Parts: sequence; structure tokens; C-alpha cells
Amino acid sequence: MNCRIVPSICSYCGTGCGVLFLVVDGRLMGTLPMKTHPVNEGKLCIKGWNLHEYVNSFIRLKSPLLKKDGRFRKCTWEEAIGFTADRLRSIVREHGPDSVGVLVSAKMSNEENYLAQKFARVVIGTNNVDHCARL
Amino acid sequence: MTNSIAEIEDSRCIFVIGSNTTECHPLIARRIYRGKEKGAKLIVADPRKIQLGRFADIAVNHRLGSDVALLNGIMHVIVKNGWQAKEFIEKRTEGYEELERTVSEYTPQRVSAITGVDPGKIERIAELYALNRPASLLYAMGITQHSTGVDNVKSCCNLALLCGNLAVQGGGVNPLRGQNNVQGACDMGGLPNVFPGYQSVNDPGSNEKFSKAWGRKLSDRVGYTITEMVPAMEEGRLKALYVIGENPKLSDPDWKHLDAAIRRLDLLVVQELFLSETAQIADVVFPAASVAEREGTFTNSERRCMRFRKAVEPMGNALPDWEIIMKLSNAMGYPMSYESAKAVFNEMSALTPSYAGMSYERLGLDGLTWPCPEPSHPGTPYLYKERFLRVNGKAKFHGIAYLDPAELPDEEYPYFLTTGRMFAHYHTGTMTRVSPHLDAEQVGGYVEIHPADARDLNITEGDIVVLSSRRGRMEAPARLTHTVEPGVFFLPIHFGENPANVLTNPAFDPIAKIPEFKVSAVKAEKLREP
Amino acid sequence: MHDDVKNQVKEMLNQDVVDLFLAYRMMDGHPLPFAFSRENIEEVEDLVTGPARYPLEKLALEILKIHPEATLGILARECDQRALNVLSTWNQLEAGRVKTIRLSCCPSNLKEHSDCSYLEPHVSGSCKTELGFEFGAKTEDLEALAPERRFSRWMYEFEKCIKCYGCRNICPVCFCRECSLEHPDLIGTGPLPPEVPLFHLVRAVHMAGRCIDCGLCEDACPAEIPLRLLYGKVNEIVKEVFGYETGTSPGQSPFQVLGTEMMPEPL
Ligand code: SF4
Ligand code: SF4
Ligand code: SF4
Repeated sequence: MNCRIVPSICSYCGTGCGVLFLVVDGRLMGTLPMKTHPVNEGKLCIKGWNLHEYVNSFIRLKSPLLKKDGRFRKCTWEEAIGFTADRLRSIVREHGPDSVGVLVSAKMSNEENYLAQKFARVVIGTNNVDHCARL
Repeated sequence: MTNSIAEIEDSRCIFVIGSNTTECHPLIARRIYRGKEKGAKLIVADPRKIQLGRFADIAVNHRLGSDVALLNGIMHVIVKNGWQAKEFIEKRTEGYEELERTVSEYTPQRVSAITGVDPGKIERIAELYALNRPASLLYAMGITQHSTGVDNVKSCCNLALLCGNLAVQGGGVNPLRGQNNVQGACDMGGLPNVFPGYQSVNDPGSNEKFSKAWGRKLSDRVGYTITEMVPAMEEGRLKALYVIGENPKLSDPDWKHLDAAIRRLDLLVVQELFLSETAQIADVVFPAASVAEREGTFTNSERRCMRFRKAVEPMGNALPDWEIIMKLSNAMGYPMSYESAKAVFNEMSALTPSYAGMSYERLGLDGLTWPCPEPSHPGTPYLYKERFLRVNGKAKFHGIAYLDPAELPDEEYPYFLTTGRMFAHYHTGTMTRVSPHLDAEQVGGYVEIHPADARDLNITEGDIVVLSSRRGRMEAPARLTHTVEPGVFFLPIHFGENPANVLTNPAFDPIAKIPEFKVSAVKAEKLREP
Repeated sequence: MHDDVKNQVKEMLNQDVVDLFLAYRMMDGHPLPFAFSRENIEEVEDLVTGPARYPLEKLALEILKIHPEATLGILARECDQRALNVLSTWNQLEAGRVKTIRLSCCPSNLKEHSDCSYLEPHVSGSCKTELGFEFGAKTEDLEALAPERRFSRWMYEFEKCIKCYGCRNICPVCFCRECSLEHPDLIGTGPLPPEVPLFHLVRAVHMAGRCIDCGLCEDACPAEIPLRLLYGKVNEIVKEVFGYETGTSPGQSPFQVLGTEMMPEPL
């Protein structure tokens, strides 16, 4: 029997409330507000209180998908990454790096945003990087 | 935000414009409630009758898209009465004469004709805001999502500067970020013109710095913004798009146009938690790990960088976004071998001056607010204490003339349409609609209509209404409410089966490239009873 | 005092009296709830008893959902103890599933004297008195107001509600599988605030004979509503009319006073 309470940050709005995840035997059981967090001081809105629900949603994507003849089929990471890398390489070769765009996200972490724009700028070679926060 | 969230409580006056705070930023609304109960004056200006308005000392419903006029009118009254902060203006700003010239034309009577707000109320707002300092001004998408978004923001800054409400504890201009890590995405260089820390791609020094750090000569040509990517896709200049954690199909203005453009791509790669509207039309989909399944940092609206920690293993074969990007990079011949998110953070903070003093150890559970330039720096709860970000350290006033929204109602499309959020859902709904408790609060889309308009259109509660604009048409059940003014409809943005952006106007702000989601013209017709 | 508690916890874990012990542990300067276990007994050295309070008994119920055979230890202040009493009264907790280490307690209308403060004291702003009810107001203060003023002040408080359900979610004695607050026929969904005053009165009525005045709801309310005062009043009525005081012992049944044998369905 294993029970852990893991501090985290609400991933919905830009307020950034401190939450605690209740984990029992590796299962995410619930969300609590962090009482002493400087932003929310032990309170949450309805979205924060239910943060664990989308994480546990059964319709989450569980496998990489490749589209063939208009239909998705499950594939391995190697296939999905290999396919994407090949296609990107040949598009860059044929049309230049500025024919590729990367949309980063306000839902990703700082680390991930950093890597995504680094990917666009270094690996692809383009500054076509933007996010949807304008929208 | 130039202030911290907690500081809002200590303001003597809180002016909320274009933000439905209790629904969209509930835990910031709490600070407004507390500020109010400590004795602050509360001013609320919003085209809709929002919850916060019930507690305001003065609440006005100005006509959609008339923010600049309203703010100029308020400044007119302040200047006329000599309430401006003369010393602050003298010492820390420039361009005041230009502002004074512009606002002198915006008499309360004239502004009233544009905004529909009673002249006496404009005078009262001016008095409350100017005479209760420090005052905090809060705004959200209601200010930015306009074809005049930048003008709106500048007008907010003008007002704050005019009264010296910037660079003080409890006083400032505070944009509330709509999404969890918008601040961080921008800080990290998720923009076409800057590297992390807002270092320009076309500044030779910055470009060299990053070229050296990353071991490749980097392009100094500014890239496309998302709004520019759409025509680039249509014209075949953009061939491949890698979309991470976004659902532009539902968040972009003018859905039909975007849909057609995306279908012209040679390659669409989508990295997501769910098979979103955008993922459905992708060639490859990467399953990403959720917030509870990985570690990293987010930076909230008050610039506070905070750690989130891994609580459970990723579902199925999903992987953290940073691991996926690493895999792809390795497959493309640029090796990346970070052991953890922390290793990425360390590389990033070494290159980003405002984050340079941060480390996972220092962040702890409270986080740190940037700028935090060195390991001994305590972080910065409010900005511009000593100087502003311009070369001479002074803030600049801008005389801003009012412009109508790009589209106004006319004979054919006689109603205003505005869009926004409701309290139980978030953005395009991909995360909230699968959450049973949130779904129960609001299962599907709806359109808010004033009962007087409903009478004219012979619509009753729950009837299915067809809305159409110059861009397209959609259906939604009617919700009769006094929240909207007569002549204005409101659509929530979360529901893919009632997509608001079929109707909205892709006209965008020339500088910020933010589309005008908040104002478009539509007509309505009853389709059938429920 | 801490060492005493720590030794007791170690003993309970080592001697297999409990499988897990729920208390608090400092993490980067923050007291967070923590489940101590035999495997990591050395962690007990970091155990703290406060100052923050979380609904440990509610966490215990969650764990028991997955491990119905487990025995859990809880660091119990007076309010935790009262909550446990209510939970067993309402058949939500099997006798003996939860062992406690008692701790002296916090201020409450149910207990005048206290030697620890558990939460940051709620300070009312200068205008709170004018506009709403001050935190820490007594029910007598309520009665002193003219009915219209009382009514309008409560309306002011209720209209701030952002329907986070935090008051219910954090409440150690809210355990219903189907909550009336989410019954669409009873309380409409969609706009904010939730139907005033129905939402709050429904919850208040349901707290009759249950609320143990722990104050967690008020502490979790983002709208700064003095909920404790509201539920306190309801329970005062229950006490006056039925002579029933909540949470005082695990054996009492709120239905005894009504002369019926009915009990809610067990877990
Ligand atoms: S709990 Fe609510 S207010 Fe806090 S960050 Fe999450 S969505 Fe925003
Ligand atoms: S005070 Fe609030 S949280 Fe505590 S038992 Fe009563 S209703 Fe529940
Ligand atoms: S905690 Fe407060 S705001 Fe949240 S639902 Fe309860 S009364 Fe409303």
C-alpha cells in the first residue's frame, strides 16, 4: 500500500494555483488546494478541484498514430518519429527551412517550450515559431 | 502583470476592464473581493453584465470595441480636473503633450455617444480611479482580442501612467493571461521574432550568442506569426506544421478558411493529450503526458516560475513533450540528451537573463518571480520600480485615436457577436469536456440573447438558433439572459459542435496579430424548437 | 511534544497497529499532508503537527476506497476527532479502521479553550462589516441585525460565490455519492453565481446534524463567504430543537431524536 501527496501547479488558467495530487498505489485519486501556496492560499476554482479528471480520462491518447489511406492506425514511437523525421527532412531539403512552422503551446512547460523553439530554430532552421495565446 | 497577484488586495482602487474575472481567473477574482472588502473602490467596465459588476462602486457596459474611447474619455476628465500625477509625469514619462492633445477631444458627451455610457458615469470613474491611489488596472482578452488590441493596451497604460499608477506597490497594469503558461511560452521564445528572454533573432549579438550556444548558425529572418501562417499555407509557402498542445482548428478565427489552409499542408504533426479537432486531420499524432505525469516549470501571470512534479506514470505509451521533441531531434541528426527537465531548465536559465538566478532547488514550492538575474536575487514582485524598459528609462505616452471595430452591425447583419469563456470550461474544451464534474456544469454550447431581442426574433429559451456572419453559419440553443445588452449575442468558445469561430472576424491587429474575436456582426434566425 | 507524537507514530507503524499514518511533513518550508509508512519509518523524524490543517479523515476515506481492509492512523485534533465521530455515526467508517493520536486543538464554537491555532486567522477587511458578515462573528451578532439587513448581507455574500464546490469538496463530513448541489432539477447549471440563495441554503440544510465546525470550508472558499457562521446557525437550531450536538460521540444517531430507525445506506 502506497500513498503519496504530490505538490503541483494547476494547468488551466494563467493564475497558477498550487495543488496537491493524492496518489494511491500509483493512481491519481484527487486534487486538493495547497493551503500555504502564495498564489491561491488553499482555495481553487471548479477547474482546479477537478484537475485529476482529465488526466484520468479514458479517451486520452495512449499510442502514437499514423494516418494511412485516411485512417489512423496505432504505431510504435520508432515508426512515428521515423516517419516524421523523414518527411520533415525531405520538405526542408525541397522547400527550405522556412516552409516548416512550429506552434508551441501555453500548456507546455517552460522547458518544453524552450526545447520546441530550439528544435524549430536549430534542427529545422526557421523562426516560424508561434503559440496560440493570441487566440 | 506589473504587480503580483497578492498585491491586488492592497490597491485602493481596482479597475477591471475586459475581464470576466470570476469566471476566467477565479483566484484572481478572490483578490479583488478581498481588496474590495478591505475598502478599495471597484470599477468594472465590460460589454456584458458580469458577476463582478454586482459588487462594483461603479459598473458600466460600454459598447463592444469602444474601449479606447471610454479610456480617452476618462483621461479627458482627469486632465480637465488636474487630477493627473504631475510629478510622476515630469520625472518618469515623456510624450504627455501628445496625450493631452488627443484626449482633449474626447469630452464625456462625445464618448457617451460612442460607448453608450452615461457622461456622469465617465466622470465618476475618472474621479474614483484618479483619487484613490495606488490603483490597479486589470484586463484580459476583452482588451486584446480586437483589431485595435494594441491601441487598447496602450490606452490602459496611458491611464495608469497619467495617475502615476505604475511601478508602485499595489498600482500597475495587469494583463491576466488566459492560459496556464502563456507567460512562459513567450519568455521561452515561443515567438517568431525572439529567442528566449525576448532577445531578438535579428540582433547580431543575440543571434551570435544563441548560434554559439546551440552550435549552428541560426536564421536572423523573423518568422511567421500564427495569423500569417494561414495565408502561407494557402499559398503553398508553408508545407509542414508541427502543432504541440494546441487546437488551432477551434481557436483560430475563421474556421473554414483555416480548415482549407491546413488541408493544403504536406505534413501536419500534432502532439496532444486527446484526439482534438486539429489532431483528427493530422498525418501523425504523438500522445503527450499530462501535467501530473511529468515534471517541469510554469510561469504564471505574475511572472512567478513554479515547479510541477510528477505524480503518476504517463498513460499508455504517452511521453512528456520534452522527451518527444528530443526523440525527434535525435532522429533528425541533431543530438539532444537531457536527462531530465531540470537539465533543460539549467541550459535555458544560463541563456535567459531574467531566469538566470533560478534553479530547481531555489524554486522550491513558492517559485520565484522574474526578473531574477542572479542566484542571490530574491525575484521581482513588481516591475519598473526604478526605471522603465525603454532606452532612457522613461515611459512614453501615446496619443491614441478611437477607431471602430473592423466590422459593425449593419442592415444585413444587425447584431453584435462577442465570444468568451464560461466558468466550468477552458479554452477549446479538450481538457474540460472530458472531466465529468465540469461537463455536468455545461454539457454543450449555447448563445446568450437578451430577452428583448429574443422577442423580436420570436425565440424562446432553448430554441435552436441559426447564427450567420459574412464568414459562415452555425447553430446553437438560445439562452435568454440579461447578462448581454440588447443587440449583442455572446457565444462561449469551448464547444466544437457549436464553433464560434465559424462566425468571427479574422481581421487582426496590425502589430500584435491578435484576431478580433470579441466583435463581429451576425444575423440570427430561429431554426426550430428544442 | 513533537517527539512524543513521533515516538507514538513509530510504535504504531512498527507494531503493525496501522498500515499508514496520516500527518504532516515539511517540504520546502510548507507543511503538507503526508502518509508515513513502515517501509520509510525514518521519515517520521520529519513529522510536524501543523500549522496547516487538511482534511486527513477525507484522505483516509479515499485510501480506504482502494484498500477497504487497511487500518490507518491519523493525527487528530479535536475537529478531526469530531469528524471521525460523524463519519462513523453515518456509517461511512467501519469501527477500528482509523486509529488516532489525539492533539490539543483549535478555537471553535464547540470548544471555547484552545492552545493552538490551526489556520491563519481570517481577518475581515474594514468594509466586510459594512457589506457582509465579519469572519468570526457570533450567531448572536446575526440576530442583532434587522431581518432585512441580515437578508441583504447574506445575499451580498452568496452572490460572490464562484461555484467551485470547494466548501463541499474539502468538508470532512460531506460524503454523499450523489450531491444535491449537483442535481440539475434542484440547482440550475450554467451561469455564475449559482442560484442565490438556493445553492447555499441547500448545503446549509444538509449540514444540519453533520457540520462539526472545523472551518475548513470557510478557509477553502475563494469568495470569502463566512460559511462557518451559516452552518453554525443551522446547527444551533438542531441543538435547540432536537438537543442534538454533532460529532460529540461516534455512537449517536441523528435519527434517534426523530424516533426512527432509518439509517443511510452504508459504504
Ligand atoms: S484553480 Fe482555477 S484559478 Fe487556479 S489556476 Fe486553476 S483554473 Fe486558474
Ligand atoms: S465547518 Fe465546513 S468543512 Fe467543517 S464540517 Fe462544517 S461544513 Fe464541513
Ligand atoms: S467554497 Fe465558496 S465559492 Fe466555492 S462553492 Fe462554496 S460558497 Fe461558493
